[in-house]
Amino acid sequence: MNIQNVNHFVHAYKIAPWRIQRQWIGSALLMVVALAMVATLYLDVTSQAAIAGREIQDLTAAITISQQMSGDLQTQLASLTSARIMQQRALELGFRPMVSGEAEYLVVAGYSVLEPDILSSAPLQMSALTIPPQYNESLLDWIDEKIIFSSGGIR
Amino acid sequence: MRQQYARRAQVLTFLMGLIALGIIVQMTRIQNSVEAAVFRQQASNYAYVLRPFYPDRGEIYDRRGHLLAGNKSVYEIGVDLNLVKDAHAIAFAVSEELVLEYAKILDTIQYPPQGLSYVVIADYIEPQQAINLQELKKALQEQAPEGTLGGLTGLQFRSHPHRSYPENSLASNIIGFVSREGRGYFGIEEKYDTLLAGNAVQVLVPTDPNKAFEIPRVPNGTTLVLTINRDLQASAEQILDESLLKYDAQSGTIIVMDPRNGELLAVAGTPRMDLNQFWNYGTIYNNASEFNRAISMPYEPGSVIKILTMAAALDSGAVTPATTYLDTGSILVGGATIQNWNQEPWGMQDMTGCLQHSLNVCMATLSTKMGAGTFYSYMDNFGFGQLSGVDLAGEAAGRLKIPGDSDWYPVDLGTNAFGQGVTVTPLQMMMAVSSIANKGRTVTPHALYAMMRDSRQYNVPAQFAGSPISEQTANTLTAMLAVSLESEGSQALVPGYRVAGKTGTAQIPVNGFYDSTQTNASFIGWGPVDDPQFMIYVWLERPTASIWGSETAAPIFSEMAQKTVILLDIPPDTIRQQLTAK
Repeated sequence: MNIQNVNHFVHAYKIAPWRIQRQWIGSALLMVVALAMVATLYLDVTSQAAIAGREIQDLTAAITISQQMSGDLQTQLASLTSARIMQQRALELGFRPMVSGEAEYLVVAGYSVLEPDILSSAPLQMSALTIPPQYNESLLDWIDEKIIFSSGGIR
Repeated sequence: MRQQYARRAQVLTFLMGLIALGIIVQMTRIQNSVEAAVFRQQASNYAYVLRPFYPDRGEIYDRRGHLLAGNKSVYEIGVDLNLVKDAHAIAFAVSEELVLEYAKILDTIQYPPQGLSYVVIADYIEPQQAINLQELKKALQEQAPEGTLGGLTGLQFRSHPHRSYPENSLASNIIGFVSREGRGYFGIEEKYDTLLAGNAVQVLVPTDPNKAFEIPRVPNGTTLVLTINRDLQASAEQILDESLLKYDAQSGTIIVMDPRNGELLAVAGTPRMDLNQFWNYGTIYNNASEFNRAISMPYEPGSVIKILTMAAALDSGAVTPATTYLDTGSILVGGATIQNWNQEPWGMQDMTGCLQHSLNVCMATLSTKMGAGTFYSYMDNFGFGQLSGVDLAGEAAGRLKIPGDSDWYPVDLGTNAFGQGVTVTPLQMMMAVSSIANKGRTVTPHALYAMMRDSRQYNVPAQFAGSPISEQTANTLTAMLAVSLESEGSQALVPGYRVAGKTGTAQIPVNGFYDSTQTNASFIGWGPVDDPQFMIYVWLERPTASIWGSETAAPIFSEMAQKTVILLDIPPDTIRQQLTAK
């Protein structure tokens, strides 16, 4: 094959109209694929966010129910250990109220009377810092985390 | 040929573009049409639901962590009118389970107020009753033919918190109660209503899961810890109830306070009510002042006030403990003759004798010797005629007439000195006398030990209301009172513990005259004398077994004090002094 033939093929290739069309079609398809990928990703993230949102709604309802149950049980326990009930149970077990003359006091070296600890029944309020990252990080945050994690970065 | 294909392609492209444009135009048109606006409006109706939030009211504990007031779930039972299949079945089931009127329920379902899609049949239903109805609804649904609805379809259940008092009537006069509307009445519940109440709110909650972050957080109310010791409170109430029977008294009050910081350890009163059945309030009490007599019922205290008259006389320098006077059995003050309780002369007495024998003439002598200016200045400093500032709702101030008031007469200077013509509440009396037990400093009584919110605890510090007398006067008077109790062999004495105190027997005015057969019997005392850790006030109204405070209130004080030293782990004086010496 001489150089003239080569030039001829090159020229023929350059002027081939179907090549231009293919380039356009290729570009258009590439754009469609890119849009489809973005749409798929968006759909995936949106659906995951919706699922997470629904879980939050369910968990919030569950927390409320648990707190109500906890309050119910706490009140029930207090009723079962009320002063009147405890005194009645103690009497049934054969105990009787002590009178002051019966008390014996022993000196325990180093012992100091401890004030009772009053523990709060109030639950800890969930702050933004205690919410799992899945619930508040953005897509970019998530990609950033994955890139850093996959590259062995230290967080 | 190639040109022909090219033209076809162009035509096709144009047609496809036209179709695409048409689709876009149509989409835009549809989305902006009138019908679309209607649909959007309909959709927005379901975007949010109005949901009631009932934050838990703050709990109330005693100082050792025993729950005094908590919350439990109760149910609202209603009917969704859009879902009702068989109104008769619902009316029958609910009326049977809740013992309600069938016809009334049926009427509510069939003829609801216009515009309502949900009606409430009953509220504050116990969980077990609601569960029974829920199970019945479920069973009927399971029995219904496939594809059809059960007979109780439309019956709805909504749980919400409701105030509950596990100790029932214990400390009811201090705690108060909460109405179904969530408002606190009396005691702690009313005084700290704003703190305790997490206010119920109606909030629009998004149904869109992507807006889950908009779900509101309604904070619960603040939890309170009281200074009350539950076991001591129970003992005080038991002793009081037994004493009312023993001495056939109309009503009574026992208060136990720490004189060092004003913490109220027990406040027992009668009558008491089961706070879980607060609707019985009207049948138990005739008026609001009876709910907690310790703070709401001023009365003429009688001889217990002699402690303060003597304190004023000693502190002002009018007398010393060794000062003597000749008791002739009567004294003329403001044109009126004042006599001793037994209308007899007691001869030569020193100031300890005055207290020991509770001589009215001696006290009138002291007040007139001090003069109205000095005497009323001290009474004012002791807090008479003013609110004590206790953190319980419903406190009354009592009345101290002073010169210049239209109803003050010169004789009042004499009678006020032994507790007539002046009214105080038991708690005011304790506050005033706390200055004697607490080295001259008056403490402000309080029932709140701490507040808890967001897992943080804030302890309430002790507050002092002033120093009406010197420490020396307080110590001197305490010793005089201890000696006077020991000298007369008072029934108030506590084996193993040295206590100081004073009885009071005040005749009750009936139709403008003092009735010698009806009295208020009182005793106020504290101990151990060298390191006061408790102060107890006893008041019996109209005891008939004996009208004398020395025979009724004094032994109750002793019994209460013996119980107090056990429950507060206060060793007898000899052991305590040995420990201190080491």
